[in-house]
Amino acid sequence: MSVLTTRMKNWLEATGAHIGTATAQGVPTVVVADRAKTEGRSTVRFALSDAQRQQIAGNLAANPQVAFGPGGLGSIRAAYQFKGAGRIEGGDLVVEVNEIYCTKPGPEAGLRLDTLPDEAVVKFEETRWRDNGPPR
Amino acid sequence: MKLTAEMQDALQVVGKGGAVVYLTTSSRAGKPNTVGERFVAVFRDEYILIAEMFAQKTRVNVNENPVGVITMAHPVRGRTWSFHGPCTILQEGLPEGFVWEGLRAADALSEWGNWAEKEPPSEVPPDIRPPALVQRGVIALKVEGITDFHPERAGARVL
Repeated sequence: MSVLTTRMKNWLEATGAHIGTATAQGVPTVVVADRAKTEGRSTVRFALSDAQRQQIAGNLAANPQVAFGPGGLGSIRAAYQFKGAGRIEGGDLVVEVNEIYCTKPGPEAGLRLDTLPDEAVVKFEETRWRDNGPPR
Repeated sequence: MKLTAEMQDALQVVGKGGAVVYLTTSSRAGKPNTVGERFVAVFRDEYILIAEMFAQKTRVNVNENPVGVITMAHPVRGRTWSFHGPCTILQEGLPEGFVWEGLRAADALSEWGNWAEKEPPSEVPPDIRPPALVQRGVIALKVEGITDFHPERAGARVL
């Protein structure tokens, strides 16, 4: 069960994400959302423009797999990658996250976080980063 | 496809006025992988190089499905570009004279095989600076298409 921590939610909601989808044959396409909303323990909702929806709707219809990382300053300070199943709902892209990875460069790059106990993930964040979200 | 001077200025490390980028690849079965990359440069006007520092899933993906997308992440400053094309990893030990998509591996590695020495991450704050930089090659993407990722123009061809 994936759990989005407060730090993850704060970064995603403020900076959005670079969102990768792919055809069923593996041809990738990326859309960039400036903002996100998080819901519950593992859901992320991105408001898409018409052009963005058209760009990825075909991919998602054939292949719901999605990967995304925080945008803007989050690409540097919030070194996470989230993976899950995406769908278009009411014009938004909604992703049910089922994998979370640390992408901080170094020996912990690729460390899977969603398989750790909730408190261990928070502890991990507290000992790796000095913030709990982007500067206000 | 030759990149413009503005694009070449943007595709370098942040300390030189460039940007962090995201590299997105996919497994052959369509599972994408999207990771931020700091060490980026343009080589011979049409290749984008990224330091390969144990990008495990990227390696698996490009070995079975050699395509990728690079997007400008931070700072964007209106440079809302997505670069598409064939993608691979070049590293020491390839056969002598190995050439990929017109790019000689030895040339790319000779110039960018030791990124930490060439462009040390001195501008990176201590809490996010890698504790050690271990590079085992370069990820190369040959640009064959460029589109816009601005929400209102998403997917529109730039070049």
